[in-house]
Amino acid sequence: MIARAFFSATLLALGASSAALAQETGRDARVETFAVLPDWEGQWLLENNTSSIGGISDSILAQRAGEAAPPVSRDLFGFAPNVPWNEEGRKRNAEARAKSPGRKAEGWGFPLMMNSAAPIQFVIAPEAVVIVNAYRDLRIIRTDGKGHPPVDDLWPTTWGDSVGNWEGGVLVVDTIMVRNPNAYFHGAPALSDEAHYAERIWMDEEGGLVAEITITDPVTLTGPWKSVLRYVRDESYDRLLYDSYDGDRTGFDGEYNTIEPEAVE
Amino acid sequence: MSVTAMPAAAHHSMAMFDASKEITITGSVKQFQWTNPHSYIQLTVADANGRPVEWSLELGAPMYLYSKGWRPKTLKAGDRISVRINPLRNGQPGGAVIDVTTPDGKSMANLRQ
Repeated sequence: MIARAFFSATLLALGASSAALAQETGRDARVETFAVLPDWEGQWLLENNTSSIGGISDSILAQRAGEAAPPVSRDLFGFAPNVPWNEEGRKRNAEARAKSPGRKAEGWGFPLMMNSAAPIQFVIAPEAVVIVNAYRDLRIIRTDGKGHPPVDDLWPTTWGDSVGNWEGGVLVVDTIMVRNPNAYFHGAPALSDEAHYAERIWMDEEGGLVAEITITDPVTLTGPWKSVLRYVRDESYDRLLYDSYDGDRTGFDGEYNTIEPEAVE
Repeated sequence: MSVTAMPAAAHHSMAMFDASKEITITGSVKQFQWTNPHSYIQLTVADANGRPVEWSLELGAPMYLYSKGWRPKTLKAGDRISVRINPLRNGQPGGAVIDVTTPDGKSMANLRQ
C-alpha cells in the first residue's frame, strides 16, 4: 500500500494524466484480488478414477480380477441410481441409452466433464474461473459480478452459461442453458434445456477438491438431484495434455461400434 | 447399463468389446499410433496357418498412457510384444488392450513403477 501511494504521488508530481493513474490503481486492485484467490494449481482427477493403458478404469479392471477396489463415482451419469427422474426423464434416458452402443462421443460436455476420467484444470483469475480438460471441454465461469446475460442473448450450448462468485474459499457457480439431449458423451443425463445447475466447489482439509452440485429441472426431474464429487491432485500429469480427434477410428458394424481397419498414417 | 459397458475413460461405448473374454496375442508391432481420443497398436500376428494378420488394438487416449509412463516412442515398429485384450464382438482382428508384455515377460501396464 505504501508503495502504491508513493507511486501515485510520483505520477501526480510528474504530471501524469488522471487516466494513467486510474489504470494503475485498477491494476493494483486486481493484483490484490488475485492474491487472495485460492491456489488450485495442477491436474485434478476424480478420486479413485485412474485409467489403465487401455483406457479402462483401473478400479474396474481390479474388480474383474476379483480384487478389492475402491468404488468410482458415476453420480452424474444418466444411469446413476440417485437421479429423481420423472416419467419424461425416464423416457428421454431410455432413448439415449438405446443409442449408446452405436455412437461416438466428442468429449464429455457439462455436467459430465466434472465426472469424467479425464483430469481437469482450474485457471483462476479475478474475472473468471476456467475449467478445462484434455478433451477440450471448456467452462468459463465469469466472476465479474455481471450475472447471466439477458435471456434473449442466450441459447443452449454443450457447456451452458456459467457465472460465479467466491464465498471465502468456496467457488459458488450457477449454470443455465445446457443443451439437451447432449450430443456429447453417451452416458450424459438426458435433462432438458431448462435444467439449472448450482455448484459449490472448495478445497477440503486433506487438500482434495469437493464439488457439490444440485440440479433442478422442471421437465425431467421430480425434485433436486444432489451429488458430491471429490477430486485429488494427480502428480502423474505434469501438464494438461490435449489434442485433436485425428485418431478416432471408431466405426459401426450395424450392431456395435468397431475399430475401423484403416490405419492412421 | 452395467459399469463394465461404460468404463471410465472410453469416449465410446465399450459394448463393442467382449469383456467376458480375454485372449493374448503375440506379434510384431507394425505401427504405434499415438492419437486422440484413442491410441492404437497395429500388431502383425501369425494365424493358425502361419499367415500374417494385422490386428487393431485399442489403447486409451495419450493422456492415460502418459500418466502410466508411456510416451510416443515407447513402442517402435518391429518390437515383439504380447498383448492381452478383450476381443471385438464382431470377430474382426481387434480388441481393447488390458496389458502389454515384453518378450522377457515384463508388464508395461505401468512404466512409472
